[in-house]
Amino acid sequence: MSQIPQPQKQTFLVVDDHALVLDGTLSILKQAYPEVDILTAQTAEEALKQTEQTDPDLVILDLVMPDTIGETAQANSGLQLLKTLMELHPKLNLVVQSAHTRTLIWLKSTIDNHMGGFTVVDKSQPVKDLLTMVDWALRERTYTPKEIRNGLQLKPAWMQVLQFAFQESLQDTAIAKRMNVSERTVQYYWSKIRDVLEVYPDEDKNLRIQTEVRAREAGLLD
Amino acid sequence: MGAFSAIKKEIAVWRRGALPGLVVLVGVIIARLTGSLQFLELVTFDKFLRLRPPEPLDERIVIVGITEADIQRTRTYPISDRDIAALLQRLQTYQPAAIGLDIVRDIPVEPGHATLASLFRTTQNVIGVEVAFPDRSGYTVAPPPALPSEQVGFADSVLDADGYQRRSLLGAHNPQQEYRFSFTLQVAERYLAKQGIELENGIRDVEAMRFGSTELTRVQPNSGGYVRADSGGNQILLNVRSGATPFRVLSLTQIQTGQVDPAWLRGRIVLIGVMSFSAKDLASSGAIAGINPGQVYGVEMQAHAISQILSAMLDQRPLLRVWHEGWEYGWIVAWGLLGISLGRFLQSPWKILLGLGVAVASLMGIGYGLILLGWWVPIVPALLGLVLNGIGLTAALFYRHEQELRLRLEERQFVIEQTFNAIHSGPLQTLVSTLRKAQTEKNLSPVLPDLQRLSQELRTIYASVQREAIADEAHLQMHSAIDLALQAPLHDLLYTVYCNTLERDLPHLQALKVKIVQFDPLNTRHLRLEHKRGLCRFLEEALCNVGKYAVGATKLTVICTQEDQQQVIRVSDNGMGEPLEPTLPSTRGLGTQLAKNLAKQLGGTFRRYPNQPKGTVCELTWSATRSWFWQR
Repeated sequence: MSQIPQPQKQTFLVVDDHALVLDGTLSILKQAYPEVDILTAQTAEEALKQTEQTDPDLVILDLVMPDTIGETAQANSGLQLLKTLMELHPKLNLVVQSAHTRTLIWLKSTIDNHMGGFTVVDKSQPVKDLLTMVDWALRERTYTPKEIRNGLQLKPAWMQVLQFAFQESLQDTAIAKRMNVSERTVQYYWSKIRDVLEVYPDEDKNLRIQTEVRAREAGLLD
Repeated sequence: MGAFSAIKKEIAVWRRGALPGLVVLVGVIIARLTGSLQFLELVTFDKFLRLRPPEPLDERIVIVGITEADIQRTRTYPISDRDIAALLQRLQTYQPAAIGLDIVRDIPVEPGHATLASLFRTTQNVIGVEVAFPDRSGYTVAPPPALPSEQVGFADSVLDADGYQRRSLLGAHNPQQEYRFSFTLQVAERYLAKQGIELENGIRDVEAMRFGSTELTRVQPNSGGYVRADSGGNQILLNVRSGATPFRVLSLTQIQTGQVDPAWLRGRIVLIGVMSFSAKDLASSGAIAGINPGQVYGVEMQAHAISQILSAMLDQRPLLRVWHEGWEYGWIVAWGLLGISLGRFLQSPWKILLGLGVAVASLMGIGYGLILLGWWVPIVPALLGLVLNGIGLTAALFYRHEQELRLRLEERQFVIEQTFNAIHSGPLQTLVSTLRKAQTEKNLSPVLPDLQRLSQELRTIYASVQREAIADEAHLQMHSAIDLALQAPLHDLLYTVYCNTLERDLPHLQALKVKIVQFDPLNTRHLRLEHKRGLCRFLEEALCNVGKYAVGATKLTVICTQEDQQQVIRVSDNGMGEPLEPTLPSTRGLGTQLAKNLAKQLGGTFRRYPNQPKGTVCELTWSATRSWFWQR
């Protein structure tokens, strides 16, 4: 697995209310990213404060946790934290590590609008998967499990990107101009489109061509 | 409903409705405590006393009045000592029990002073007057010097703020701190002593005076309608004798010429006083009805005061008494509560008025009856509490409570409709599509008539639930739980509806390949909860229609966004295109009707039109800014 270059010291924030899980995640990450500063938080409140203060490059969080110390963990407050993080920091890279990823369906429209990396990994999946998701999130990619993807569901803007790219063969710069958005936005649209079409990075393949093939297969391009 | 819960419910109603009524009551009580009602209470008291049936002549007291005619005839004023001496000597021949001379005689009025002085020294049944308390200019009037002090009483009276005399002063300390008895008491005592009844201290109240079993209850500062009245000395309430001629009045001339029946005078009390307006010996009373209302001669007032003591002792005629203050306020509160209950139990305005009329008449009747029995009870405060609560605030409040109830019923109706709408978009849709499938099959299914009947039955439920207004608090609670869920942002709600509806087992939904969706935040500042609910229902209905009628559709587009100044929810498909004339008019008709109603409420429009190149578009738009049209 290739590590992306690190021009300056990166910061991760790991949020989990179970000390055991937190420690486990921490040691995995420290092995894989020895250069990175890893912070931890055990409540939603703390996580928000830390994010505000340190502006981390990546946040790994659980969906079930207490609001503040002493309270019992609630699925709702984890979701609420995720939603708040996405709304306050639209470009934040996020990895959701949870045993209840199904509940993410309630945040679908917010996730669709999120411009940073967004990946999901089940707690029962192997360590390798977790590291892959961390890597993808750092590359601002999107990966969501099938059950919350709602089939082949796209936003109108993503459809436009597909049409400009594969019917008019435009480059991203031109697409951005036509759609009157930034190139960065077009990139984030691509990451969402690829997630929907299940086009994931493969060392040997061209992503753009792979995406076009899948889009035609799915009938998105007439 | 159990008696307990009925009472609990009643208490709940009272807690809402009766509070202002209780505030009114407290206000009335405060008004009374501060004395604002004193004047009205006294006037009512006078009026009730005046309305009493006439009492027979009091034979025990005879007034000999020196009239204007007598003064004109003797051509002297004041009447000379000689004339008075002659009158006294003449009267003594009739052997009266006591003679009260209600004429000041501190200074000799010649001729005849020596004769009068010796007469005063020798007779024991003559009572004279003094003025014991300084008048405005600081003067007092001494008694006739020759009269022994035990044969002197003061003629001073206590007046209320309106100048009326309602109390009778029996004794008091004069400015020299000597205890003096009033003329009234001296004369009464002399008369009763002849009957063997002595003046003693009270039993219930040691400071009160008592003749035998009759205790003369002292007036307290807050007795009856009085508020912080000057109750100095020993005062009792004045219960004047009603009737046009309470006492026999003889003129000086009648005595002088002997035109009297000796029986009128023997053993009686004879009061001598000036009965001439020029002499200005007048007293005012609101309780005495007469030719000159409110004004009587001083000697007449003395006669009333003496008479009430004698009649109480000898005839058991009641003296005026008042309740303990606690009872008075209890009585006022009771009438106030009656007023509140009128508003509570008689909800028609006319019934309240009638009930109030009866209650007011009862209050007056009871008050009057009690006056006849000698009890002076608070009428004005009780009346105020009763009337204000009966027709005023309380009635208005209970009316408002009714309005609220009606509103709640409307809300309940809304819930019922919601429930039906849920049935309409859920089970009924399944049924309808099953029916459709069954009808298109070549071999008509044997259960088809049953399915049709089931469909019909479901529809009749709608009509019946609309009529039913079930009084059930649980409904309201459910209502508020839904409201809570509806507090979420509208686009999130709509997205949830979209996700849930897409999971439905509808034929053409599962066949969809591509979904293009956009849920943007909408301006919901002016939306009521039922509007939000309606919009959710609309989206569900539109998606269901795609699922049922969009044959061969592969692409579904759902847009909830703001375009220019319009907010829009648009659902389009690329199916075969359903016939715009619906195949099942009754169900489609109801869904369309709901959408149209919603559009009307939002001041927007609902459209259904063909999609290009194929399919159907179902669209609801409403203004993002205009709010006045449907704002509450």
